[in-house]
Amino acid sequence: MTGAIIEISQLTKQFKSKEVVHKADLKIVKGEIFGLIGQNGAGKSTLLKMIGGLMYPSSGEIHLFDHAVGENHAYFERMGLLIEDPGLFPHYSAYENLDLMAISYGLKDRSKHINELLKLVGLDGSNKTKVKNYSMGMKQRLGIAIALMGSPDVLILDEPINGLDPQGISEVRKLILELNKTGMTIIISSHILEELSKVATKYAILHHGEIIEINSKEELLLKCEVRIEVEVDKASLAIPILEEHLNINNYKVISDRTLYVYDTHVENHQITKVLVENGVSVQSIMKHKQSLEQYFLKRTRAEGDSHD
Amino acid sequence: MINLFKMDLHRFKNNKIMYLLLVIFSAFEIFGIFMMKQYEQPMEQGGTSVSSMNASDFIQLVLSQTPSWVLMYVTVFSVYFYMSEYNSGFYKNYISMNNARMYSVISKILILGMFTLLMLVTMVISDLIGRTIFFNNAAIGDWGYFVKLLVGQFLLHWAFSILVLFISIVSRSMITSLVIGVVLALNVPGMVVGALESLVGNINLSSYLLVNTIVSTKDFNNMNDVIHVASVAIIFMLIFSYIAVRYKVKEDLR
Ligand SMILES: Nc1ncnc2c1ncn2[C@@H]1O[C@H](COP(=O)(O)OP(=O)(O)OP(=O)(O)O)[C@@H](O)[C@H]1O
Ligand SMILES: [Mg+2]
Repeated sequence: MTGAIIEISQLTKQFKSKEVVHKADLKIVKGEIFGLIGQNGAGKSTLLKMIGGLMYPSSGEIHLFDHAVGENHAYFERMGLLIEDPGLFPHYSAYENLDLMAISYGLKDRSKHINELLKLVGLDGSNKTKVKNYSMGMKQRLGIAIALMGSPDVLILDEPINGLDPQGISEVRKLILELNKTGMTIIISSHILEELSKVATKYAILHHGEIIEINSKEELLLKCEVRIEVEVDKASLAIPILEEHLNINNYKVISDRTLYVYDTHVENHQITKVLVENGVSVQSIMKHKQSLEQYFLKRTRAEGDSHD
Repeated sequence: MINLFKMDLHRFKNNKIMYLLLVIFSAFEIFGIFMMKQYEQPMEQGGTSVSSMNASDFIQLVLSQTPSWVLMYVTVFSVYFYMSEYNSGFYKNYISMNNARMYSVISKILILGMFTLLMLVTMVISDLIGRTIFFNNAAIGDWGYFVKLLVGQFLLHWAFSILVLFISIVSRSMITSLVIGVVLALNVPGMVVGALESLVGNINLSSYLLVNTIVSTKDFNNMNDVIHVASVAIIFMLIFSYIAVRYKVKEDLR
């Protein structure tokens, strides 16, 4: 018993001679929002397809609830998938597509479920437009609704915000957080760490088919902290001045000449000003801010280099 | 299983192509009978003239003509029904259900059986209408024989639709499957194997090929012929159902 509801070990997928996912290991615990981040072609969709039961691994294992998964994947009551393009019948309306899903789950009260889902994703149930005439964002919303049919235990969303407008993005984000509150485990992939960071509780960075790093939300924030790096003649002289005049108490002394200030309410020029006014000369001052995106780029570039 | 079948059934009932195929088929059948009337030649020795045929004779006549139009329609529908779901990617939504892959194929097979049945029913009705109008003859003849003929041909045609389903699953291409289906409906393999056999001499495997069995006239009062038809139909159905399911279960889906 590991407590993980999804566990993959040494999962590898090979197409012809090309290895697209290489020995991936990860554990997903119930109730997590697990973010998978990687560049185009990193293997995100392929990994999710194996977890979702669309593709079989070339080697390695998938365990769901501690059961090794073979040809049959059905250890979950329901698993909602939205991987790559939503699978929709183009000649049917949104309602009809959802209706087929409701039938396949054997749901009673089909129209009630369907209308609730349509409302949840912001689509109009009375709209008779065929799906082939939908905009990309509308298809994406419908794809999310279909994946949610029958309240799945696990929801896999592959780049769910693809094609959505800013309002749609924020709606989907809100929806994901709400669903998660009901205990739903969610796996979500994206190219954009910034976007993922608004929802995910755990992150895996996938690069050239390998998982190069798994971070909790806290670990990631720590790595991407914001700080002001101050270099003075003598750090011990500067500290009391900063504490007294600028009310700074979140700092770290790095060496006897360098200190890092973590308080976000002060600006560089305020620090320079009080220090100079109080007779401490400032050698240099610099705001260090590593955005999530920079961090992601740095990590993947480092990996890329070490591979070349 | 039952729910996936209900889903396919829903799609089956709500699709215009199916009704369109049946209507076109029926129209061509009746038109074909009209043409037979126009160009009816007095049969001298051997054959019976169309006007004096009963329903069984007439249906055997229709089904024995190649290209087999019934097989063409069955091909079009089988390819369409499977490929439209495959191309849409809708299977992604239910694939994680218990045994979804196997059940979805079995469900397709059942739907194809229903379509085949509808085709034969349409054919019988159109023939009766056509013969009543143009030949003033709606005689069924021996009912027992007629039923045996229809059941036999139903099983054979259903087996053919499963074969086409299998081809669609493997080829994943609408055009390829249609072309192969039409080539089969023209009985090209049957003729080729038959020709090879006549070169080699004393073997007769080709008569056990599915399409050859469909287009050859059988005497359903003769036990050997009945066994021949039933065994060919059932063996083809079992083999292609089985490998279609196995293939689907192993398939990497997009
Ligand atoms: N069926 C397939 N046959 C051969 N190669 C494939 C197949 N599917 C994916 N690939 C290759 O595997 C690699 C990873 O593809 P994948 O779709 O998993 O990437 P991704 O991380 O989802 O990318 P994106 O961000 O663009 O969606 C790509 O180089 C792709 O060309
Ligand atoms: Mg992808």
